[in-house]
Amino acid sequence: MSETVKQDHAVIGKSVPKIDGREKVTGAARYTADLKFPNMLFGKILTSPFAHARIISIDTSEAEKIPGVRAVITHKDAPTLKYGISPARWDENIFCIDTVKFVGDKVAAVACIDEQTCYKALAAIKVEYEELPAVLDPLHATDEDQPQIHPEFVRNINAEIHQDFGDVEAAFKDAHYVRTDTFVGNRTYQTPIEPHTATSMWDGEKLTVYSSTQSPHYFQYYIAREFGLPMGDVRVLKTYVGGGFGGKLEPTGLEFGGAILAKITGRPVKMFYDRAEMFAHNRGRHRQYMTITSGVDKDGKILGVHADFVMDGGAYTSLGIATAYYAGAMLTLTYEFDNFRFDMLRVYTNLPACGAQRGHGAPQPRYAFEAHLDNIAKDLDIDPMDIRILNARRPNTTTPNEFLVNSCEMKACLEKAREISGWDEKKGNLPKGRGIGVATGSFVSGAGYPIYRTDLPHAAAMIKVGEDGTAATLYTGATDIGQGSDTVLCQMAAEAMGYTYEQMKIVAADTETTPHDFGAYASRQTLMSGAAVKQAGEEVKAQMLEIAAEMLDFPAVDLDIREGKVFSPGNASVTLTFEEVARHFFVNRGPLVGKGSYTPPKLGGKFKGAAVGTSPAYSFAAQVSEVEIDEETGEINVLDVWDVHDCGTVINPALLEAQVHGALFMGLGESIWEEVKFDDKGRILNPNLSEYRIPTAVDMPVVHSALVDSYEPAGPWGVKEVGEGATLPTMGCFRNAIFDAMGVSINSLPLGYEKVWRALKERREEGPAE
Amino acid sequence: MFLPDFDYHAPETLAEACDLVRDLGPSAKVLAGGTDLLIKLKHGLVTPTAVISLKALDELKTITHVPGRGVVIGARATHNDLVNSPLLHERFLSVSEAAHKLANNQVRNRGTVGGNLVNAIPSADLPPILIALDAWITLVGSNTSRTVPLHSFFTGPSCCVIDPVDEILTEIVLPDQQTTGSTYLKFALRRSGALSVTGVAVAVTMDGDTIVDSRICLGAVFPVPVRANDAEDLLRGKTWSDELLAEAGEAASCCALPITDIRGTAEYRLDLVRVLTKRALKRAITEGHV
Ligand SMILES: Cc1cc2nc3c(=O)[nH]c(=O)nc-3n(C[C@H](O)[C@H](O)[C@H](O)COP(=O)(O)OP(=O)(O)OC[C@H]3O[C@@H](n4cnc5c(N)ncnc54)[C@H](O)[C@@H]3O)c2cc1C
Repeated sequence: MSETVKQDHAVIGKSVPKIDGREKVTGAARYTADLKFPNMLFGKILTSPFAHARIISIDTSEAEKIPGVRAVITHKDAPTLKYGISPARWDENIFCIDTVKFVGDKVAAVACIDEQTCYKALAAIKVEYEELPAVLDPLHATDEDQPQIHPEFVRNINAEIHQDFGDVEAAFKDAHYVRTDTFVGNRTYQTPIEPHTATSMWDGEKLTVYSSTQSPHYFQYYIAREFGLPMGDVRVLKTYVGGGFGGKLEPTGLEFGGAILAKITGRPVKMFYDRAEMFAHNRGRHRQYMTITSGVDKDGKILGVHADFVMDGGAYTSLGIATAYYAGAMLTLTYEFDNFRFDMLRVYTNLPACGAQRGHGAPQPRYAFEAHLDNIAKDLDIDPMDIRILNARRPNTTTPNEFLVNSCEMKACLEKAREISGWDEKKGNLPKGRGIGVATGSFVSGAGYPIYRTDLPHAAAMIKVGEDGTAATLYTGATDIGQGSDTVLCQMAAEAMGYTYEQMKIVAADTETTPHDFGAYASRQTLMSGAAVKQAGEEVKAQMLEIAAEMLDFPAVDLDIREGKVFSPGNASVTLTFEEVARHFFVNRGPLVGKGSYTPPKLGGKFKGAAVGTSPAYSFAAQVSEVEIDEETGEINVLDVWDVHDCGTVINPALLEAQVHGALFMGLGESIWEEVKFDDKGRILNPNLSEYRIPTAVDMPVVHSALVDSYEPAGPWGVKEVGEGATLPTMGCFRNAIFDAMGVSINSLPLGYEKVWRALKERREEGPAE
Repeated sequence: MFLPDFDYHAPETLAEACDLVRDLGPSAKVLAGGTDLLIKLKHGLVTPTAVISLKALDELKTITHVPGRGVVIGARATHNDLVNSPLLHERFLSVSEAAHKLANNQVRNRGTVGGNLVNAIPSADLPPILIALDAWITLVGSNTSRTVPLHSFFTGPSCCVIDPVDEILTEIVLPDQQTTGSTYLKFALRRSGALSVTGVAVAVTMDGDTIVDSRICLGAVFPVPVRANDAEDLLRGKTWSDELLAEAGEAASCCALPITDIRGTAEYRLDLVRVLTKRALKRAITEGHV
């Protein structure tokens, strides 16, 4: 891995230990739910037991009488302003007013002196409902006879997308071969190990919320908007976060409810979800029905693609309008073709709302496309690896939907994956029951545009060097939710300043003390927050050099700083320590501070939805997996996975590899086991970790992770993303390995043992093909 | 998710425990490892006013061989006690292996054999192998003690013959026997911490290549762990072959009456019974107690 790291870096490119590793490993780290404040109350939310019902009345009087209950609130106590991702689709209230729209919809909340009392109080709230027929089947949500979920959204259509680039019909006409396949991607849930928590408190008119969030800034924005407060009077901050994966990017209801309860009681209120409540709130991956048609020439070169999707959005928009656009937009990245049409219908159902989950909208379509491509390769008798290499995107190209791709080592990734997996020796030569598959993926290194319309820079950073120079503190709004951004940003700060990582401190993700940053989503922080940090570090360094030049009476241009030493490359006798210079600076000029900010260039086309999927840079990856299938039971045994990534310059190889492993872990779970299941009343059947099966350590295959040389001109030091991109190839890769092993196609996720068993049984019953 | 309030007792002797069970009657629950009971308490599925913990009764924790009786497993032995018992490794490794397939390490450290039996869920992992090895159990009341063959212990999902207001399960006995091999195959949807979709245990008595006798017990495919009598009959006295074991698999699936649930369809489970039965038989025949 080290071959890709430029030798002249002192701090980046090294696997320094995580800055918070000791706290986390020893259990000293305090997460939001561990925080205690004097007089703190506990709050809980009452949710709907019905998928669709009219609220006739809510009687809180009995609950209020219970000793220890301090407040009971409903929509009457809350602002009625609707919220959501974009003004056209603000469709959610803090508490339901007339109707409940899914099992788990928020109806009321209580604040009590302890948690036990909360449950008693919730049980004492009497809500009279009139149950309504519910929409549970997304494929029939738009039928005339279906109940209407939101009056403003006719026929339950939340969003309709039609994008057309080039001439797909003509491409199909010219094609040697045209094929259509349909696949289904299922509802999965992010399952962060830390449940959502928020503790809210007021100091006069100022609200402070500690939240387990991926984006303090968005929470601050949403809360200020709901309560009509200036942003400056809302402080949102986090401590440690135990994973988010997209599910902690939007308000959870705990912040809103907690703010109201804290205001009424005048006391801090801690609110949190248990595991079942997390599943009920949800915002996980959408269920998608994906029909893809492609035309190829006789060599397998892709001429045109039509993606026609339907998405089950659940009861609200959540972040789902972005998901819907991403689902199609990201299909154009890994392979080059000129003609592309994308049709999408995102429908409302009376099920929990779906939102952003690692790879945001893209992994399931990627599964569908990679499976579809293998079907084509098989029909044309082309090696799946060859068809991918033939079509692989090249650097400095533009996709049909107008994404500019700078660095791109798609082909090199495939070739390396071919080599290290032993593809050519294995393909067609594996023992019975074994198979090998390949798939690709690509993802944004930060979204080109923010979630709401604003001209704020996407990231900003500030570095304050201590008075005696023995420490420097990085202030950044970037949000470490476990992925390690605090660590890599400190590495980057030290590199830019000429300092050491070990002397760096960090204050992050606090809307009051740290400069603005949009937070952890769209794999944006290494590139975007990193660019701001680099600029701040360089500003510190420039000031240091200037004053060092004075101290040494030596031209600043002939001086440099590296790992805490000021020196002249041409004159070994000229040296000062960073501490000496920094102290001198403080004594003579006051605080030594560097600032930086980052705004991406203007990106993308002019068509409707052109913004979604734009990014300054894209990562690329190829994955090969080898599986063993039990022919009689359908059991899928994943033996090995080879992941080859083009993610630009690597800041911390160990953390990068951890991201690949983590992404693969999630991808594995979604590929084979994970599925949120519902009964015929819209209730989740498996809101727990025993029947919603994420992989365990013993389920992990052997992971071989490798890199290809790459440098991204749009990123600081040439970086781009890795966190989400690594999830993308996995589902298609396993499907293709099963296809190779057994010759059966599993056309829906999760691939599942019983599905493989059934496909094999059906094939046996049909008799041998041809 | 809160434990309700209850009185807590941790009697020092078995007699004291039995008296408490009798005196407190239906308002009390016996607590062993708590891996089933605590979940039910937290979900409000049972609402006892008293809990009688067996934690002080160390005599219920041993695994020993008693000449004339067999291997005696105390009801409070944890799954990991079974996993790590040298005596079981020597005589019935299959029981250690079955215990190792159960749940995950944390649960195996706390959960007990007695709890697994009295809890009586159809997918429990220990009953099939214990029944295949012809185990019997001892139930002790304040004035009584009786032995029950394990195969007639279960009466339905979460139901067994124990008298909940008088009896404590004290031991499981694997009698000395002629069996030459036994094994338990668990089919679950993940390698760790997943309940069985189907489990099949077999014990065989071989004379060369002849199957003198066999016991086949199916888990998770019937309201109680069920013996596959048809398959056992079919095998008795025959020389084993892959074809014969395949036939036994077919016969075994005729003895199952599975339901469709979140873990799998009835159709799938029936076929798993067929596959697991023939595989388990072959393992026990060719590899002994594994
Ligand atoms: C995460 C998880 C995974 C699991 N996976 C599996 C699995 O894969 N396979 C499986 O079979 N089980 C599994 N279980 C269930 C459980 O762990 C076992 O059934 C365990 O053996 C129960 O034992 P215990 O000592 O914890 O019982 P407890 O919870 O203490 O008791 C269970 C019941 O038995 C009664 N009881 C206990 N001991 C006695 C006694 N000596 N006399 C009379 N009554 C008694 C109690 O009153 C109670 O009704 C799992 C549980 C969890 C939490």
